Amino acid sequence: MRRFSLHLWVVMLTLVIAAPVFASVPGELLIWADGVRAPILADIAIDFVVEYGIPVTVQEMPFGEIRDNLGVVAPTGEGPDIIIGAHDWLGQLVTDGLIEEIDIEDESLYVESALNVFTWEGGRYGLPYAIESIGLFFNKDLIGEEPPVSFEELIEVGNKLMAEGKYGLVMPQPDPYHTFPFFSALGGYVFGEDENGVLNPLDVGLANEGSVKGLELFERLLDDGIMARATTYDTMMSLFQNGEAAFMITGPWAFEDVRSAGVNYGFTRIPSIEGSFGRPFVGAQGFMVSAFSENKMLANIFLNEFVGTEETMLALFERDPRPTAFLPAAEVINEDPDMLGVMLAASEGVPMPAIPAMNAVWTAWGDAIELIINQQSTPRKALEDAVEMIVQTIEASM
Amino acid sequence: MDSDFKNGCDSVRGSILSKVLKGLGLAVLNVIVIWSALFLISHQSYVILALLLLGALIVNIVFILPGGYPFRYLLPATFFMFLLVVYPIVYTVYISLTNYGTGNILSKEQVIAQFEEKFVIDRDAESYAFEAYINDQGELAFLFTRPDGELLLGHKSTIDSVSLDDPKLEFLDDYILLEKRDLVRMTNELSAIGFDCGDGKQLRMRNVNSFAIYERQYVYEPNTDELVDLQTGIVYKPSNGYFQAADGTRLTPGFRTVIGLSNFRKLFTNRQITGPFARVFLWTVQWALLSVATTFAVGLFLAILLNDPYLRFRKAYRSLLILPYAIPAFISALIWRGLFNTEVGVINQILQATINSSVPWLQDPFWAKIALVILNLWLGFPYMMIICLGALQSIGSEMYEAAVVDGASSWQQFRYITIPLLMVSVAPLLVASFSFNFNNFSVIYLLTRGRPPIPGAQTPAGYTDILISYTYRLAFESGRGVDYGLASAVTLIIFLITGTITFFNFRFTGALEDVNKNV
Repeated sequence: MRRFSLHLWVVMLTLVIAAPVFASVPGELLIWADGVRAPILADIAIDFVVEYGIPVTVQEMPFGEIRDNLGVVAPTGEGPDIIIGAHDWLGQLVTDGLIEEIDIEDESLYVESALNVFTWEGGRYGLPYAIESIGLFFNKDLIGEEPPVSFEELIEVGNKLMAEGKYGLVMPQPDPYHTFPFFSALGGYVFGEDENGVLNPLDVGLANEGSVKGLELFERLLDDGIMARATTYDTMMSLFQNGEAAFMITGPWAFEDVRSAGVNYGFTRIPSIEGSFGRPFVGAQGFMVSAFSENKMLANIFLNEFVGTEETMLALFERDPRPTAFLPAAEVINEDPDMLGVMLAASEGVPMPAIPAMNAVWTAWGDAIELIINQQSTPRKALEDAVEMIVQTIEASM
Repeated sequence: MDSDFKNGCDSVRGSILSKVLKGLGLAVLNVIVIWSALFLISHQSYVILALLLLGALIVNIVFILPGGYPFRYLLPATFFMFLLVVYPIVYTVYISLTNYGTGNILSKEQVIAQFEEKFVIDRDAESYAFEAYINDQGELAFLFTRPDGELLLGHKSTIDSVSLDDPKLEFLDDYILLEKRDLVRMTNELSAIGFDCGDGKQLRMRNVNSFAIYERQYVYEPNTDELVDLQTGIVYKPSNGYFQAADGTRLTPGFRTVIGLSNFRKLFTNRQITGPFARVFLWTVQWALLSVATTFAVGLFLAILLNDPYLRFRKAYRSLLILPYAIPAFISALIWRGLFNTEVGVINQILQATINSSVPWLQDPFWAKIALVILNLWLGFPYMMIICLGALQSIGSEMYEAAVVDGASSWQQFRYITIPLLMVSVAPLLVASFSFNFNNFSVIYLLTRGRPPIPGAQTPAGYTDILISYTYRLAFESGRGVDYGLASAVTLIIFLITGTITFFNFRFTGALEDVNKNV
C-alpha cells in the first residue's frame, strides 16, 4: 500500500519503454497480415531466414485494421515493412504518403487487371495475389444444373419457386457493393473517367438512366416477392443454406459456409438485364511496402523471391480460396469450378474506385438503396437525392 | 484498511528498513527516468521528456519531503487524470486546429524527406549487371556490365570504364566477391550507395541483380522553404498543408499543419453540417432522457422487488437479472439486431403468431427509436438495479415503521420516504448516466447505424443519428477520406454541450441534497 504509487511508476515506465517491441528495424522484416494469411507468411519467413539469415516477424492483425493502424504507427517509425491489403486502400495510402512503389521483377507472371488495380498515377504499389468478385450462387437441387443467364429467366424461375413458398433471390440489403451490378448493367457508374482514365469525383453516375432502370428492376423483384426484403448477410446466408432461396448474390468468401451446409450449389456471373451483364466490382488483394520501411529493398526481395512463387500462392489458396492473380498457379487453382465461376464473374467487372472521395459515397448510396427497399421513395428520387448529397459532400471538402 | 493506514504511519515514524526500501525504490526509479530521458533525447521527443522529468521531480519531492506524505495517495489519481482526461482534451484541441486527415497525416519534415529521397527511373531504363567485392576493411568495389558489354569499375564513389585485363583491376586481388546471400544481407548498405554520373544522375542499386541510372526528382531549399522539381524547374511553395505550384497544382502527400479556426468556421457555415444539427440534437436529448428514465424505472422496480425479504430465491433472481450487464454490450447489440429483423427476426415471428401483425423495427423511424430504447433498457437496467439495491439497503427500517404507525399507505411510503432518500445517493449517478447515453455511440452504431435514412435529405444524417454518430459520419465519410481535424472540432462542441448540461444537472441535484437535511 505504502509504495503503491512508486511501484506504479516503475510499472508504467517499464511498459512505456518495453511497448515498441514491434517496429521496422534495419536488417529485419516485419509483416502485418490477417489471421488467415499470417501462418503461411510465417512459414515462408522461416525459409527466408534459412536462405539469407534475415529474421522475419509476422504480426497478426484483423484485416480491416491494417490500413488505419499503418496511418497511425508508420509515421512514428514503428510500423511494418510489408502489409497485406486490398487494392481500394491504394488511394488513401498513396495520398497519405504511407506506401512505396514496388519493383515487380517479372510482371508477366501476374494477371494484368490485377496489376492495373494496384497502379496509382503510373506507379505500381502492390504485388497482387488474389482477385475477387461477387457473382450468383444457385441451388442445383432447386433449379437444375443450368443457371439463368438473364434476369428475365431468373424471374421466370423465381415465380415458380414462389408458388412453392420459396424465395427466388436473396442478397445482403442495403448493401451498395452487392447492389452495384444492378446499376452497372445498363450504364451506371460511381465516378466518371476523363480521357486519360483519371476518375472525376464530381461526375457521379449513380442516378443516370441506366442506374434508375436497373434499380427499378431491383424494386420490382422485391415488390413481386421474388427477392426477400431487408435481408442482412446472415439472414441471406441462412435462407440459402436451408434451401429456402434458389439464388444468392455474394462473393467467394461465402463458399465455405455454403459448402458446410451441404448445399448442392454452383457459382456463376450475375445475370444480364436487357441483354447486358451486371458488372460487379472487381477487387484485388496483395502485398504493399511501407514508405517508412527501413528495408525497402529487402522487402522487395522477399516479395519477388518468396511470395511470388507457385508454392506460396498455392498455400495461400489452400487457406483462403480466391482466384489467384499469379499466372503460374492459375492453371492449378482455376481448374476448380468455383474459381472458374469467380473468374467468369470477374471478367465482366469494373475495378472498385480507389480514390479517397469514395468514403463520401458509401453511406448516401446505401441510404438510397434502403429507402427503395423500405418503399419510402422511388428509385429515381432516392438516387437523385443521393447523388446530389454525394457531390455536395465531395465539393465541400475540396 | 484501518490497520493498513496505521502501519503506514508507524513506518513513517522510523523503521530503518522502510527508509532503505524507500531510498532504493527512488534510486531505481530515478535510474529508469534518466535512462528514458536519454532515449527520449535521442528521439527528440522533448515534450514527453519535459513531462517525464516533471513527473519524476514531483515523485521525488513527495517521497523525500516529510510534508509530502498525503500526496503519495493523491499522486496516482492525479497522474491518471492527466493521462486519461487532461492530455486527450489538450490533444483534441490541438488536432481541431490542424488539417489532420487523409492526405495530411505526415509532418512537413517527413514529407520533405520523402520528396528528397525520390529518384525516378524510366520503366525501360537499361540495367547494369554487377559484381560486388569487399576487402578486410569493409571497403566495397563494384564491377558493372552494361547491356552493350562495356565494363565499369565503381570504387570510392567514382566510376571508370575498364577492360578485364586492365591493371586498374589488380587491387581487387585483396578483395573477395560477395555471394548473393551476402548481397541480400547488405542490401540496406548497398542501396544507400550512388555513383554520380553528372547531370544529377546517379547509378544506384535497382534490385539484387542490377544497378540502373536514376535521377533525383526534387530538391528542397531550406532558406526559401521551396521544393524545386529538377526535371521541369517548377517551384512548389507550402500552402495549406501542401507544396503547391504557382498554377495551383499540389504535390501529394501533403503535411499536417495548423490551420487555425477554419474547422470551426466550417462547422458554423457549412449547410451540410448546420442543417440537421437541431434535429439531431433534439433526438440526442430525447434519447439520453429516455435511456435514463426507462433503465431507472425498470431497475428501481426490480430492486424494490428483490429487496423484499419475503421473496424466495432472491439470490438466484438477482444473479439472473445481472446477466445482461455481464455479457459484453457488443454481443448483445448484435444479437438484438438479429431479433429485430423484420422478415425473420424472432420478435416479429412471435408478433405474427400471436397478434398476426409485424412491426418494421429497423425501417420505420418511430420503431427504430423504440428498438434502440428497448436495447438500451436491456443493457442498462441491471446497473440501475444494482445501485438502487445498494441505496435501498441504506434506508433504515425505522423510517418505514414510523410511517406505518402514522398510517401511511405503501404508495406514500414509496413517494415520501423511498424516493427522496434514494435520490440523494442515486441522482448523481443518473446525471452521469445521462451524459454517458448522450454520447452512447456504440449502441446506436451497432443497432441502426443512425438509420433509417430520411427521404429527400440533403445530408447523410439518419433518423436515429445522435450527435456523436453524426460526428463519426462527418469525420470518416468526408469527401477527402477521413477528416480528424473537423471531427475534433465537432467533438469539442459536443464536449461543451455535455459539459454545460452536466453542470446544470449537478446544480439541480445539489438542490436535492437539501431534502436530505430537511428529512
